[in-house]
Amino acid sequence: MAAGSILIVDDEYGVRSGIRQILEMDGYQVVDAETGQEALALLDAAPVDVALLDYRLPDIDGLTLLEAIKARGLDLSTCMITAYANIDTAIAATRQGIDFFLPKPFSPEDLLGVVETLVSHKQLRVEAERLRREHEAGLLALAEEKSQTHTLVGCLRDAVLVVNRGGEVVLANQAMTELLDRSECEVLFGQAQELLADGPLAALSEQLAAPAKDRTVTTLEIGEASYMASVVTFRGDDGAALGRILTLSDISEVRRLATEKARFIRTMVHEFRSPMGAVKSLIEVAVDKSLGDQVDAYLPMLERAEKRIDGMVELIGDLLSLSRLDAQQDAPPAELVDVAPLAADVVEMRREFMSARSISAEIALEAGLPPVLIAADDLRTVLTNLVGNAVKYNRDGGRVTVTGRLDGEWVRLDVADTGIGMRPENLEHVFDEFFREKRKETRDLEGNGLGLAIVKRLVERAGGRLEVRSSDGEGSTFSVLLPA
Amino acid sequence: MTPQHTILFVDDDRDFLTAQTAFFQAHGYTVLTAYDPAQALALLETQTPDIVFLDLMMEHVDDGFRLGYEIRKRDHLKDVPLVMLSGVAAATGQRFDAEAGGLQEWSRLDQFLDKPVTGRQLLRVVQERLGDGRAA
Repeated sequence: MAAGSILIVDDEYGVRSGIRQILEMDGYQVVDAETGQEALALLDAAPVDVALLDYRLPDIDGLTLLEAIKARGLDLSTCMITAYANIDTAIAATRQGIDFFLPKPFSPEDLLGVVETLVSHKQLRVEAERLRREHEAGLLALAEEKSQTHTLVGCLRDAVLVVNRGGEVVLANQAMTELLDRSECEVLFGQAQELLADGPLAALSEQLAAPAKDRTVTTLEIGEASYMASVVTFRGDDGAALGRILTLSDISEVRRLATEKARFIRTMVHEFRSPMGAVKSLIEVAVDKSLGDQVDAYLPMLERAEKRIDGMVELIGDLLSLSRLDAQQDAPPAELVDVAPLAADVVEMRREFMSARSISAEIALEAGLPPVLIAADDLRTVLTNLVGNAVKYNRDGGRVTVTGRLDGEWVRLDVADTGIGMRPENLEHVFDEFFREKRKETRDLEGNGLGLAIVKRLVERAGGRLEVRSSDGEGSTFSVLLPA
Repeated sequence: MTPQHTILFVDDDRDFLTAQTAFFQAHGYTVLTAYDPAQALALLETQTPDIVFLDLMMEHVDDGFRLGYEIRKRDHLKDVPLVMLSGVAAATGQRFDAEAGGLQEWSRLDQFLDKPVTGRQLLRVVQERLGDGRAA
């Protein structure tokens, strides 16, 4: 650190140069002024650590100068040098905030001693100020961090309640106060046990007061919702419990998915049990030789068994597709697909089926229909399913029509049939997994009810949507809307 | 020699009906089949089977129960053994079992079997219920 900067104000040149020499030899930076005005001008230009002021100056007296310096708010140590020292001036100067009083004449040692003390005072003051600022900034940062934490906890979807070792609530976020139907004021600093006692969280009161372990997890139902409640005890370095945190996470959605999954599996098992039962019974007839020793007698039943097994194999394939689609795995890249050749190909594949039942097919695509953005294999699966259904649920001698036109920013592909149609109440379920309208006309039709569920996922994966219109007994129209 | 007992199967799975018909005919039974409750009730106007096997889920999820109730309403069928077959998973089967107390009260089902069932399994049920000797 530099030794310090000193301003000498004295009207006598000899005094100024004398002091300057002594101080400069000790490494101080020195400026000097002859008058009060000159001194103020110097201070305005560059502040100093210490000012040595003569009491008697040509323009203003030392006290007035001191006042002017203080008025500028400059942080410097001051020392009055005067040959006319009397007790009154000393008192006046001290009142003005002078730091030291050095009567003339003084020895160089006296001077250096005083200046050194004053410079270190000044530096101490600066250091103290720096520390104060740092501390303040630290406090500010701390306050900000605390408020950030508060905001963070406040924004959590989970309900959070923190109690101290005395069981008093020290923090409750918004989700928690909403759950308790209390205001934050009502909750804070109250006894948690009393607070929870007769509310929706009554079951947790005991657990929060005296949990069996440092981390306990339970579930509870509040109204329609399911919650996972955890109580965590936090401890100090000495292992003593400092308090507990209760968090409640809404797991209703998880529950709903679990229920849905269970129902899906139940339906799936049913879908396998029926054909399995049929196959077993059909084979049993042969094993039991119910129809005698002629192998040919069993062929129709064995062929049926084979067909039912094919159905199960197809079901497995469809379940796999569905699970892949739901896991959003292996999505093939979308490409611009020309609909016309693909639609013609799909219809051609069904031609044999159709002519067996005298069903005619027509493809009518608007001229200049733009290509659609979807993976070609996906579009093939979509159209194969829809055309397949249109044939399957048609009446003999009916018609299948595939039309395509531009509909705003979409390409709309309609697959219409003249078949049995659907009951209005079933329309909303038609894309559900395993849904099949059970009625006399559909009873003997093969199918597992997964086709449209897969179609819907494929179309939506391409950013499109699937619609259905139907009137019972007159036929159905499935519309695929894809980005052009 | 097995007595000429008549069995009615009500199920919407034609393969199952075909197979059971062949199997039970070979064991000397007369077999009647119906694809749905309406057909079954029409058949029962003129026929009195000795035992009825009915599928729970046909057109509606509880068709089996409704049909059971309808059968019990008919005087000549009020004591015929009714055996419910269900393709629903075991878990659901158990739940039906738990509810079966109440349901049996009005449809008075005699037995509940989870699909898939085999002819041999059903044959044992028939023999027990009708007191038939084992087929030669």
